[in-house]
Amino acid sequence: MKKFITLVAKILLTILVLLIALDWLYTSVYFKNQDRGKVQYIFNSKARNYDVIILGSSRANNHFVPELFEKKGLKTFNYGMSGAHLFEASLMLKLMVERNYKIKTVILEADLGLCNDQLADGIASKFLPYIHYSEIIKNHFSGQKNFNELYYIPFYRYVDYDAIIGFREMFFNAINRKTSHLENQGYHPLLNGKPGNMKNDLTPLKPIRNKYYEEIKQICKQNNYNLIAVMTPMCSNVKGMDYFEKANKIYPEIHNLENVVQGDQYFSSCGHLNDAGARMFTAIVIEKFFGEE
Amino acid sequence: MFFNSLPFAIFLPIVFLLYWFIFSKTKNTQNAFLVVVSYYFYSCWDWRFLFLLLFSTLLCYFTGIKIEKSIKDSSRKFWFWLSIVFNLGFLAIFKYYNFFAFSLSEALNNIGIHSSPLLLDVILPVGISFYTFHGLSYVIDIYYKRINSEKNVVDYALFVSYFPLLVAGPIERATHLLPQVKLKRSFDFEKAKEGVYQIIWGLVKKVVIADTCATYANAIFDNYTSMNSLSLILGAVYFAFQIYGDFSGYSDMALGMSKLFGLDLLRNFNYPYFSRDIAEFWRRWHISLSSWFRDYLYIPLGGSRGSKLKQVRNVFIIFVVSGFWHGANWTFLAWGSINALYFLPSLLLGTNRTNMETAELHWDFNSIKVFFSILATFTLSCVAWIFFRANTIHIAFDYIGKIFTEGTFASQFLQNERYSYELLLLVLAFVLVEWNSRFKIEPISGKYSWLKMALCLLAIIALGTYADYKEFIYFQF
Repeated sequence: MKKFITLVAKILLTILVLLIALDWLYTSVYFKNQDRGKVQYIFNSKARNYDVIILGSSRANNHFVPELFEKKGLKTFNYGMSGAHLFEASLMLKLMVERNYKIKTVILEADLGLCNDQLADGIASKFLPYIHYSEIIKNHFSGQKNFNELYYIPFYRYVDYDAIIGFREMFFNAINRKTSHLENQGYHPLLNGKPGNMKNDLTPLKPIRNKYYEEIKQICKQNNYNLIAVMTPMCSNVKGMDYFEKANKIYPEIHNLENVVQGDQYFSSCGHLNDAGARMFTAIVIEKFFGEE
Repeated sequence: MFFNSLPFAIFLPIVFLLYWFIFSKTKNTQNAFLVVVSYYFYSCWDWRFLFLLLFSTLLCYFTGIKIEKSIKDSSRKFWFWLSIVFNLGFLAIFKYYNFFAFSLSEALNNIGIHSSPLLLDVILPVGISFYTFHGLSYVIDIYYKRINSEKNVVDYALFVSYFPLLVAGPIERATHLLPQVKLKRSFDFEKAKEGVYQIIWGLVKKVVIADTCATYANAIFDNYTSMNSLSLILGAVYFAFQIYGDFSGYSDMALGMSKLFGLDLLRNFNYPYFSRDIAEFWRRWHISLSSWFRDYLYIPLGGSRGSKLKQVRNVFIIFVVSGFWHGANWTFLAWGSINALYFLPSLLLGTNRTNMETAELHWDFNSIKVFFSILATFTLSCVAWIFFRANTIHIAFDYIGKIFTEGTFASQFLQNERYSYELLLLVLAFVLVEWNSRFKIEPISGKYSWLKMALCLLAIIALGTYADYKEFIYFQF
């Protein structure tokens, strides 16, 4: 039995050594790359200057065309990420501040994301490789229920979110394979969608006083960023469209632009404009908020 | 509580330590302790199932004794059929009733008699097919006077409910496990070490091979209408490795952890994808079930004796029943029937026992034949797996049809945001490791075992799929 306990102890020790070594390896790889996503693009950067940055989910990522802002002479980058919640938008803004980004205007897509202040696993996990090297990230995650495991167990975060930051992603980082996330200054155009996709049901969603929206407002105020919070378009066949009015009751400063683009021909799916729709929407936004510049 | 879960990683060491340090005094304390923890393990799924397990155990225990003690033949028959009817009855109610009720209703509707099926709102108790078959083999063996009945209820309960084999086998035989249960086990370091290696290799198969293949196979099968020919072929190959890694990985873990308690279970897999014909495949795949059907169904039906027609009938019966054992769906019946069709040429030509030894490859002409035989057998099994995996027979045929008619052999981006070809390297590496260790139970033991074990641990940690957690496929059977 003594020999067996020694064997098991050796196995456990091997596992511990592997966890520490792999953690170091993966984290080192994630530090050396800027090209695979917007989180890395910010984290591994130094100060940048922008006239406009865009934050939010896919409904920001697919709806704001930086090229049109640039034509107006506004240096712009779309930091919207498909699947992101306000938890991630707030964290991105904090990291930008830490890196001394000079930003004049923040356009925040604040609509469907207002209904919860949870993190979005698929996006939030992209910050985790840096959790031991950034107090901001550590503090931002500190309220999460699995924080202790993520922070204190070596390599746990890479195992728990293996589909996002696991071996495959680490490998592509190591060989410098690029993604399309940073093309078109972060904007991702969508094609025309299927007619069957043109419906949605918002009735289960209830807007709340969102902790991270409040954080973003606070950060912008402290750093003199002009915050423009907007609700972006949806197709007409939506149940529970009063969601936007309810959100406006809680936050009257959010501009309700939900209905400024009409017609299914401008949508890829009910919640997402296609490229033509996005260009039309961006033109309206520029006209409304930057028309006199 | 799955073998690859955190609760089980806590449960197993505690049970191990208590077993060897507190309850190892006599065989009775060892067995009683294992029965208690096995019942606890089973209750983690649903405590209500415990009554079913207990009833099945007591039924076979008492009928076994009655059969043995009965002097009159009619009395023996009565107790025997009582046990068979109740055991199969439970299986029929929980596993097959809804299927038959629904199929009957559909058939009636098709001929214009409108009916709605009276379905039962029951969930399938995990492992019912496995422990029912334990009990059946025990009772049948007593009836045919191959074994004596077990008088110690605790020993018998352990034979049925021993936690490593309780929910997904291997399907044990009283002749194999009961004699081991009757003896006090002493700790054997070499056996325990083998067990640990086998558990680690089983984990590699499950979390690295099966679960990773599953993400690709699911993305392809669930969207097969938009897949090209190459993706469809890869989908079938990935599923073949998913189900193999999943089930043989589970079996390896079961066998390995049983060795930690000093008990050897029946080997369930013997590198089936290196088989040169379907007969060999079925001697190497889910061995405990195949041999169960051989001994308790095929041979009593006459086996390979009698006319060719009778032999063909027997083959079809055993494969169709085996397919049906897997689940109440026409796809499993189709899968069984296809395997019966595959098996027929070997039976009719009398070549079903040609390849009894493990395949070897050398630099000669015969090895080319062996290589292509293995490839052909694997291809045939992949085609059959399409029926096993598809939701309906129609989808399976459509899937196969698209392989031939779609005609594009380019890489494709799947819904899991991966390219269809990406996993081939991992699968190939796994095949090479398995080929090199096909004369052993697992690849870790032997030379450089420490290095091989570290590599396995590395693979489990770095290459395993954890985020998209998948249950063991065979738990549903």
